[in-house]
This record gives sequence, C-alpha cells and structure tokens, in this order.
Amino acid sequence: MQLFARTIAILTLLAVSTGLLADGVSFDRIALTLGDDDYILLDADIEFTLNDTVDEALRNGVPLTFETHVQMRRVKAWIWERDVVERRLRTVLQYRPLSGLYELRNLQGDEHISFATRDAALGTLGRIVGMPVVERKTLDLDAEYLVRINVRLDIEALPLPMRPLAYIKGDWKIASEPWEWRLRP
Amino acid sequence: MNSRRFDMLAAGMLVVLLLAALHMISAAVQRSEDLGQWFMPLLLFSVIGLLLLFALVGWNLWQLLRDYRRRVAGSRLSARLSVMFLVLALMPVSVVYFYSIRFLSSGIDSWFDLQVDSAMEDALDLSKLSLDLHKRERLKLTENLLAAIEDTSQTAIALNINELRKTAGAVEMALFNVQGKVLALSHNNAEILLPTPPDSGMVQQVVGGQNYVGVASGTDGRLLVRCLALDRQERGIVLQAMYPVPESLSDLSQNVQNAYETYRTRAYMRSQIKFTFALSLSLVLLLGLFAAAWGAVFTARRLVQPISDIAEATRAVAEGDYDKQLPPPRVEDELGFLVSSFNAMTRRIARARNALEDSRRELLTQHNYLETVLAGLSSGVMALDSDGRIQTANRAADQIFGLSVSELESQPLQVLSERNEALKPFVDRISESLRRVMGEGRAEITLYRGTGRQVLLCRHAPLDIDAGETAGHVLVFDDITELVKAQRDAAWGEVARRLAHEIKNPLTPIQLSAERLRHKYLGKLPADDSKVLDRATHTIVQQVEAMKAMVNDFSDYAKPTRLQVEPVQVDALLSEVLGLYEGGSQHVTTRLESPGLMIEADPVRLRQVFHNLIKNALEASGASGRVVVSSCVGEEEGNGFVEIAVSDNGPGFDPDLLGQVFEPYVTSKTKGTGLGLAIVKRIVAEHGGLVHAQNPPEGGGRIVVRLPAMSGRREFDVDQDAVGGVAGHAR
Repeated sequence: MQLFARTIAILTLLAVSTGLLADGVSFDRIALTLGDDDYILLDADIEFTLNDTVDEALRNGVPLTFETHVQMRRVKAWIWERDVVERRLRTVLQYRPLSGLYELRNLQGDEHISFATRDAALGTLGRIVGMPVVERKTLDLDAEYLVRINVRLDIEALPLPMRPLAYIKGDWKIASEPWEWRLRP
Repeated sequence: MNSRRFDMLAAGMLVVLLLAALHMISAAVQRSEDLGQWFMPLLLFSVIGLLLLFALVGWNLWQLLRDYRRRVAGSRLSARLSVMFLVLALMPVSVVYFYSIRFLSSGIDSWFDLQVDSAMEDALDLSKLSLDLHKRERLKLTENLLAAIEDTSQTAIALNINELRKTAGAVEMALFNVQGKVLALSHNNAEILLPTPPDSGMVQQVVGGQNYVGVASGTDGRLLVRCLALDRQERGIVLQAMYPVPESLSDLSQNVQNAYETYRTRAYMRSQIKFTFALSLSLVLLLGLFAAAWGAVFTARRLVQPISDIAEATRAVAEGDYDKQLPPPRVEDELGFLVSSFNAMTRRIARARNALEDSRRELLTQHNYLETVLAGLSSGVMALDSDGRIQTANRAADQIFGLSVSELESQPLQVLSERNEALKPFVDRISESLRRVMGEGRAEITLYRGTGRQVLLCRHAPLDIDAGETAGHVLVFDDITELVKAQRDAAWGEVARRLAHEIKNPLTPIQLSAERLRHKYLGKLPADDSKVLDRATHTIVQQVEAMKAMVNDFSDYAKPTRLQVEPVQVDALLSEVLGLYEGGSQHVTTRLESPGLMIEADPVRLRQVFHNLIKNALEASGASGRVVVSSCVGEEEGNGFVEIAVSDNGPGFDPDLLGQVFEPYVTSKTKGTGLGLAIVKRIVAEHGGLVHAQNPPEGGGRIVVRLPAMSGRREFDVDQDAVGGVAGHAR
C-alpha cells in the first residue's frame, strides 16, 4: 500500500480489459509506477493472439521477433527535439523441435527461457514487470509528457524470403494500436 | 543541354542505379544475415525506379505515337525500327525469363523431397531417443536423491542442497515448495542467485503427480536436462535439477536440431523463396525490358534523326527554302555523306537561285528603266508581236491616241480603229506598211480627230530575236501637229517680217510725198482742185497710217521676243488694264478672285495679252455688249495656276473654226489684222501658259488663259486640244 501511495504521486493509469486490440496484440493492463529508486517503472500485461499463419510459421521453426516500443517526449516538444525516452524491448519466440519447447530469448540481455506450451511462452512474453522507463529527476516537473507504447511483430526480423509477402499479406500485421497518455511528473 | 541528351543521361543513371540496387538485392538474398535489413528498402527503391523508368519509356512511346499520328517526318521509320528493336530484345529476354522461372521453381522444389523429410525426422527422433535415455537416467537420479533425503525440515534440506548438487554432478539444483516458492538454490556459478524458473505447466505436471524431465539450453549454449521431482514423503517440496548433457551428445543433438530447424523453415518458406526469387528475376526482367524499350526508341530516333532532318529539309527545299542547311554530321558514315551531299546540293541550288534572282532583278531593272524611258518619251511607242497583236505601249501612245492602249494588250492592232474610228487611217496604213515593208518603214499619217487635224510621223522596225526570226515590230510615232503648226507659224512670221520690211520702207516716202504735195499745192490750186487734193492727200496719209499700223502688227507678230520677266500680281495688272476701259459705252465687269497671287511674267507683254482679249471681246459683243473679266486660282497635280477668263455676250465663236481662232488671219471681223489672238497665244505660250476658246452653254464666247503661279511653276505646253485642235473662231 505504501508503494502504491507513493506512486500515485505521479500518475497511474490502469488499462481496462477491453484495451486496444489491433490485429493480435492487446493491452490488458498498463501501469507506470514510481519505484524506490525514483525510477518510473512500467508494468504491463499484454495479450498476444497468433493467427493460424503465424502459428504455422512458428511451429515450422520460424523465429518471431516482438518489439515493445516505449517512447516519451514533451507534449510541446519541437519536431527536432529528441525523445526523453526511446526504448525498444525485443524478444524472440521460437519453437525448439528437439526439446519440444517454446523458447523466449531476450535480445537485449541474451537471456532465454523455455516453455512447454506456446501460451505459457506468450503469457511470459506479454508480462512486463517493473521495467525502468526513466529516472524522475531527469524530467521537468512543470512539463507535460506524452508516453506512447506500442507492440508489434517485427517483419524485418523474419527470414528474408518471407518479408515481401509478409508486408503484402495482412496476416503478418500483428501490432497494437499505440497506447498513449499524458503524464505530469 | 537539350532534352534528348537529358533524357539519355536520366535514363542511363536510372538504369545504372537500378542495376546496382538489383545487385545489392541479390547480395542481400545471399547474405541475409549481413545485408538482410537492406532487402526491403532496396526492393522499394527498385520498384520506384522501375516505375520511373516505365514512365520515361511511356513518355517516349507516347511522343513516338504522337509524331506518328501527326505524320512527322521520320516518325514512321522510327516507330518501325523501335518495334523491331523491341521485338528483337523482348524475344530472348522472355525466353530466358520463362526458363529461368521454371528452372528456379524446379530447383527449389528439388531441395525438398520425402526422403530428405523422412531422414531429417529420423535424425531428430534419433537425437531425441539418445537424449531420452539420458533424461530418464537423470530423472531417476533426481528422484533417488530426493528420496535419500531424510531430513524432514525444509530448512535442513535446503542446507544440504549444495552437497546434493555436487554429488549428482548437476549444474543447478533448486528446491521449491508446491506453490512454486524457492526454498533453496545451488548453482555451480555462485553469482547466480535465482534458479531457472520452471513454467507453470511444468509445475502443474509435477504437482499433479508426474515428474517432469526435459531438455533446455544453457547460457553457454550447451544442452541441459531439467528434472523436476515431487517429494514422495509429503514434505511439500519439489526438487529441480539441471544436468549437463555430455558435450558430444549435446553438440550432435544441437547440430541435428539446427539442421532440422533450417530444413523445416526452408520447407515451410518454399513458396516464399520461390516468390522472392521470381520477384527479383521479374525486377531484372522489367529493368531489361524497360531499358531495351527505351534504348529501342532512343536508338531508332537517333538513327532516323538524320533521315528525318533530310526529309524535313527536302520538304523545305520543295517549298522554296533553298537556304536550308542541315547540321554537319558527327560521324562520317553513309548518313553523314548523305547530309553533306544534301547541304552541297542546297548550296548549289541556292547559288543558282540567287544568280537567277540577280538576273531577274537585273532584267526587271532594265525593264523598269526601259519603261521609264518609254514613259518619259514624248514619242508614242508600241510593240506588236509577229501576229500584229499589241504587246506593250507607253504613256505617250495613250496620250496621242486618246485612249489607254496598254489596256489593249494582246489584242490586234485593228482594235484601235474599233475603239476610235478616227484612228482607222493609222491602223490601215501601218498594217499595210508592215505587210509590205520587211525592214524599217516610215510614214506620215494625218488623222482627223474630233479635236482637229492630227499629224503623226510613224516609224516601224522589226524586233529581231535571232537571225532570220522576227518576234514582231516596234512602232514609234510622234504627234507632229504642233511642229507642223509651228513651222507654219514660223513661215508666217517670216512672211510678215519680210512684208513689214518691204512695205514699211516705201510708206514713209509716200506719206511724206503726199503731205508735201498737199503743203505745196493746196493753197495754189483752185478751190475745186484744192478740195480734190486735200481729200486725196488726206486719204493717202490715212491709208498709209493704216498700212503702217498693219505692218507694225505684222512686225510685232514676226519679231522674236525677249521676255523681261519679273514678279507680277495678276489681279493688279488686270485692274490696271481694265482702268483704261472705264467710262466707255460698253459695260466691262470684273470678278477678280486671285488677290495677291504672283506670277513670273513680262508685264508689258501680258498687258498686251489682256488688251487684245478685252478689245476682241468688246468688238465681238457690239455697242451694247457686256464683257466679264474674271480670275481665279487653281491647282493641278500639285502645281498652282491662275486662270483668267474673258467672256462676252456676243454671237460666240464659229464652231467650225473654234480650233483655229488662234491662227493668224483667221477672223470674221471686217477690220483688224487677224493677228490679235495669234499674238495672245504666242505670248501665253512664251509664259508657259495655255489658252483656249470656248462657247459657254449660257451663250457668247469665252477665252481662258491659264498661267502658272510663282510657286511650283512649270512649263505648260500649249493645250493642243484646246488651242490647235478646236475648230476655228470666226467673228
């Protein structure tokens, strides 16, 4: 409760379960909290729904790279002004035929976790807990910030022969609507 | 830079860029790990570039079609050549494309077949079997380890886990409670503080009573066997142990797995691979096709350009533009030779045209010169062709004949007599002379025109073109009426002068002798005789005086004059002369309307003119006559003149003699010398004026004198029609 009381000082937005669902990705819950170390942390529950085409590709060993893009910039920023936060969290989901497991591999930290089922892997993939976004003291307390989060399947990370058709066919457009809100630190 | 060169450079650069892009696409396909990220941008660039190239080709083809429809010179040949080049380029490219696609498709298909599929599956199964054995051993070991733990306390177990791990040779060993909470961990890497988390499915399986064993990848890439075993002594713990797979088995299994994954992925992507290769090949084909199409149009145009230029220039030459020159050829080939020859030909034609033009201009100049000379001639000149048709005539001919002869061009000479009956003697005589005389001929022909007698002196000569060939005749004729008249006047003058000289000499002695007789014997003779003597001598003296006056008139007429010219104001002079007639029995009216107008004249001679005219009018109108003297100013062809008219209300001039009233001794009066009007005409002519007599419709007679004004004075000829041609005046 104490943590919650502190975090309320900034802003907390809870996404409703009817969150945006755009072609296979929806936000069940998103929250920004202020951590003990004065970092603003991101918590999110993201639900991935893979269609048959993507699922078939996954089962045939095609690695799927999902990218969570977190962006924060001043509301009144000039067009040439750099974003305050610009982070991309890239995770690869791949089926391993030898073990029969689904493997999640974090491209930033080279961590990998195996899962017995696809849904378990997707569940872990969609769970973001306490991801540090920005240190609060680096922000201008008088300014208003726009936070934008979107999640998508990275077509450019698909094997090269699949890319042209993936760009053309709608099955591979797995992406969320950008989730935006304004934040006054 | 002209548009064609710009087109060429743009297309060339575009083709080069597209070739580079396609080459990089090919490299990206082959080395997708390094260059894969450039694949889509390059593909997009290639598509846009091809669209641009297509637009360029379309624009060129549209231009070609437009020129073809407009029938621009060379467009049809360009179109034919373009189509031919295009077909020649398209056929091999299409064949290569067709078979490349087929080979590509069958080649890719050949990568995958059932045997390979089966072999790969078998290899994977074999690996799985090998691992399964190892997995079962490790699971058994884990279960035994867990069963061997006798401590009931979770804490005590946790304290011994490190020893257990080392005993079992595991990489990691962790103890959880059934809720999944970590109770203890032992890892061969002391820095790792968290166990590898089992997923919820694994935990549920174990809690459900079935222990889990599976293969996982370690951080170093080696395979690990994960065992999850539930404690059978109901202590509520789950032991997870991670055992390393023997290196050789791990490596072999990894290799099999990687090969299997690659194969499965490729097999899955078979259609996409075909599509990507076909797409790349199609891009290359389109590039080749568009480049060939553009090259075909460009080459055809470039080849046909000199021919088009020649065709255009030939058309220009056909339309008379002989100065047309084509740009000099860049290459000395057959077309270059054709262009050079064409330029040489047009230069020669232009030179010939210029020479012809010069000749024509010279001929025109000569013609104009001749026309001017002929127009300036007082002699009439007329050219007849060999058939006697009128070819040309000068202005003097028009004036002499009183009709426009130049309008009768190409008509026979006889048309002159048809137009004017009075010209018949001329036509007959000339026709006769032309028939009779082969060479030059000469004739003096008298015509009786409405204006009086007209004497023409005619000469004719053949127009020779070549020896023995005659193109016609040239007629030259002069109106010598005035000349004849002048000769006659001169003869009269000579006669008068001689008569005056011969007669005047004895008159004075006669007069003196008569006066002496009278003086000497008048007083001595008887009264009767004296009366006779007085009457006789008086008659002699009177008649001698009359004869003297007559002889003086003769003398005046015959005497060569020398004018003392000075500016004279006409109205003033007229007023002065008319002043002498004021108070007479006859009524003289003046209407002077040229105040201040000056002429150059001899006032004495002009006064004589006015005296003669007024006196003549007074004598014609009788005792109760009325004479009107008027003056007015006029202008003709830019030259000013003054016109003095003396009218009377007498019987007028005899119409038959109207044209001869100014000739000497043509008179109807009982007294006078008959030289008055002849002297008037002579003095007027000497002043550059003209005089004519007329009978106005209101009755009486009128004589009009026209004298040039000082400004723009010109030498007037005596109006032949008015003076010499009008019938005589008899009063």
